[in-house]
Amino acid sequence: MIALGLEGSANKIGIGLISHPSSNKPPIVLSNLRHTYVSPPGEGFLPKDTAIHHRAWVVRLIKQAVRQAGVKIEDIDCICYTKGPGMGAPLQSVAVAARTLSLLWGKPLVGVNHCVGHIEMGRAITNASNPVVLYVSGGNTQVIAYSAQRYRIFGETLDIAIGNCIDRFARTLMIPNDPFPGYNVEQLAKKGKNLVDIPYAVKGMDCSFSGILAAADILAHSTNEALPDGKRLKTEDGEIVTREDLCFSLQETVFAMLVEITERAMAHVGSKQVLVVGGVGSNERLQQMMGMMARDRGGTVFATDERFCIDNGIMIAHAGLLEYKTGITTSLEDSTCTQRFRTDEVFVGWRD
Amino acid sequence: MAPSADIAIEPIAPIEPPAPLAPLHALPPPFTDSNLEVLTQGAEALVYKTTFLTPATPCVVKYRPPKPYRHPTLDKRLTKTRLLAEARVLVRCRKEGVGVPGVLAGDWDNGWLVLEWIEGMTVRKVLDEWADKVKRGDKKEGDDEMLGVMRKVGRAVGRLHDIGVCHGDLTTSNLMLRQPSSSTEHASPLFQHRGHQTVSAMREAAMDGADGSEPSPPQPQSELDGDIILIDFGLVSQTIQDEDRAVDLYVLERAFSATHPAAEPLFQKILTSYGESFKGAKTVLRRLEDVRLRGRKRSMLG
Amino acid sequence: MASVRTFHLPHYPAYPVQVALFKDVANAAFLRSQLLEANPDFDYAFLDATMILTPNHLLSATFLALHASQTSRTKTRTAHSELVFRLHPNNNIGESYRKFGISDTTTHLIAVKFSLTPNITNESVSKHLGEFVKGESVAIGEEGEELGIWCDVGKVRKVYKLGEEKKTKKGAVVNGNVEMDARKEIESVVLGMITLKGS
Repeated sequence: MIALGLEGSANKIGIGLISHPSSNKPPIVLSNLRHTYVSPPGEGFLPKDTAIHHRAWVVRLIKQAVRQAGVKIEDIDCICYTKGPGMGAPLQSVAVAARTLSLLWGKPLVGVNHCVGHIEMGRAITNASNPVVLYVSGGNTQVIAYSAQRYRIFGETLDIAIGNCIDRFARTLMIPNDPFPGYNVEQLAKKGKNLVDIPYAVKGMDCSFSGILAAADILAHSTNEALPDGKRLKTEDGEIVTREDLCFSLQETVFAMLVEITERAMAHVGSKQVLVVGGVGSNERLQQMMGMMARDRGGTVFATDERFCIDNGIMIAHAGLLEYKTGITTSLEDSTCTQRFRTDEVFVGWRD
Repeated sequence: MAPSADIAIEPIAPIEPPAPLAPLHALPPPFTDSNLEVLTQGAEALVYKTTFLTPATPCVVKYRPPKPYRHPTLDKRLTKTRLLAEARVLVRCRKEGVGVPGVLAGDWDNGWLVLEWIEGMTVRKVLDEWADKVKRGDKKEGDDEMLGVMRKVGRAVGRLHDIGVCHGDLTTSNLMLRQPSSSTEHASPLFQHRGHQTVSAMREAAMDGADGSEPSPPQPQSELDGDIILIDFGLVSQTIQDEDRAVDLYVLERAFSATHPAAEPLFQKILTSYGESFKGAKTVLRRLEDVRLRGRKRSMLG
Repeated sequence: MASVRTFHLPHYPAYPVQVALFKDVANAAFLRSQLLEANPDFDYAFLDATMILTPNHLLSATFLALHASQTSRTKTRTAHSELVFRLHPNNNIGESYRKFGISDTTTHLIAVKFSLTPNITNESVSKHLGEFVKGESVAIGEEGEELGIWCDVGKVRKVYKLGEEKKTKKGAVVNGNVEMDARKEIESVVLGMITLKGS
């Protein structure tokens, strides 16, 4: 069976085609295309502009993806699209495209939860059977474990998402958004060496980033190179704190928090596997820290590369096809999208 | 600009997981002899059973090992702050008569704490065993004994909040149901007398007698009769904010629904009993509703 | 010869602790003067037995003092003075000696000596104390049961600021063990307090 997946919940539009040959063979990625809307430094992506970007690219990407996959329209079984969660306008622009295709080609629609898409794709790629999932992206920060037909949320952010925290911090420091702010922060952090005190906010299995962002923003202003030396932020040893040090400190602090809540969830459910998904999951330092934690517990960490970590169409096609195979489709009248769509609302009929 | 294209036709080759390495179990001096039994390797701490002061006194050693993934400066800061906060709160709870293990010794710079041994089992295990019994048809869902345990949980959490302490990691694994006093043995022979009863048992008796509404059945004694003891104060904070209290309850509620999906109705009993446990508890319950709603709003963005 | 009980604290088997108990001590002033003169032969922790609540009370402070001396973090000169210091809830060394140490009028005495070197044994301590302490030696049982029998609980409560003892509730008196349980509760708080002191 073959599914076409359309993803556009944030600033990336992704189109992918996947084939599930038979129940005991691994799925095959037929094509996986993506285009990212990049906003200028110091600015985030606005819903309106992002939607315009998606509308401009969607037809071209679908044509190219289908051509690259080498399949005929008749071979496609269903059209899967992101129902939510995400930004309203971009979600709508892609949902309209999905509906149009459904009517044009006479194919059933499957609305997919974006988070479940990440989890299922991660599981398929890494072969992790029943991992604790850390889902970290620009809009989500969740620690998830599967139990009784649901992906249950054990821990999550109490305010803003980790990716949002990093992106906005990058904006304050005027770090470019290309290819994405988190990547540039990561590169700068590699050159940092002084750890600056930043609040550490973990509550049980939840964490909070808004206070950290506020503190980091204040620190960022006092590292402005235009300031005279006397006014610059210094370490206890009198060294001037650099942008690199700040990126380093921010990463060390917030990633330690993420690893800690993941470890707590692992201890709670007794799992030895961790799967990291979402755009922030492509950060090598986070993967390294997670690996050290897992090793200490005698467990393993699974991570995907940026093709699958960062939002893509394939994951929507994959999760949608899993659901389609359990006999569930989304009727045209119900093919809406929603900004709020919790991971644990989805009935996971395809797992034991 | 061309879209970032990936290779067409690509079977998903599963990534081979790296071989797991053995976890480290090395305590700092003086806890280096073989007289140690690993209890749990929690997320925060390694917990061992050993003896303390006399060879007949069992105790728990809680060791917060340095976390290799954490920056050493951050790691030291967190370890010391948390260990001290934990010990301070435990001592305070003991002073105020809240059911927690007593502090026997500690070394903040080296990351360990020695705590009183509590004989019993976690509420998590109690619930699991109960769920098994329900499945087998030995017990029914609204079982009185089980509701009794939930009532005690609500009351224990209420007492804790009443003295201005929020646990911070209130899961069913961090609630212990102490083995009823008649079968516990005090390690020190000074206290080994026949017909002996613990203070906590007496307090329970006195409380039940005082409000008169819930007389405890005298016989037979069930294994679910013991006191609720709160353990693992690793993320504790001293606060009287309704928000923090509500978050405590929210964490417990989620631990319930995540690991004991069938036991969710029991949680209502905890809330009812909590609501009656101290002045101001009702406001916390109202706040809990806000926290729940906000929790659901959090997934707004993709 | 005085009766001396050797305790082996779990986790510090290499350093046995020699403990002797005396009543009707007549020369407390002399013993105290030896401490004040820092006579190396009298390097003991001489404690007022009425200030020791339970065996665990003494042993816990002993453990902490030994641990501090082994990790080179003592606040006082020797492991023995550290023990006296450790018993007090505050960081005032003089106050620790006044409350828990021997005074000129002490009649009930606990003497503690760490076997930090091989020449200090049960016999050597027994011989030395037997020679210099003018009082009746009291044998200590295997579990230290006798440590605490002369405790003035009111005084202990005051030093640790535990307030007045709460009135026993009606119906709570069971088999006359209320006092032991009350003591167990105090002990638990006191052990916590001496662990936390200074931090």
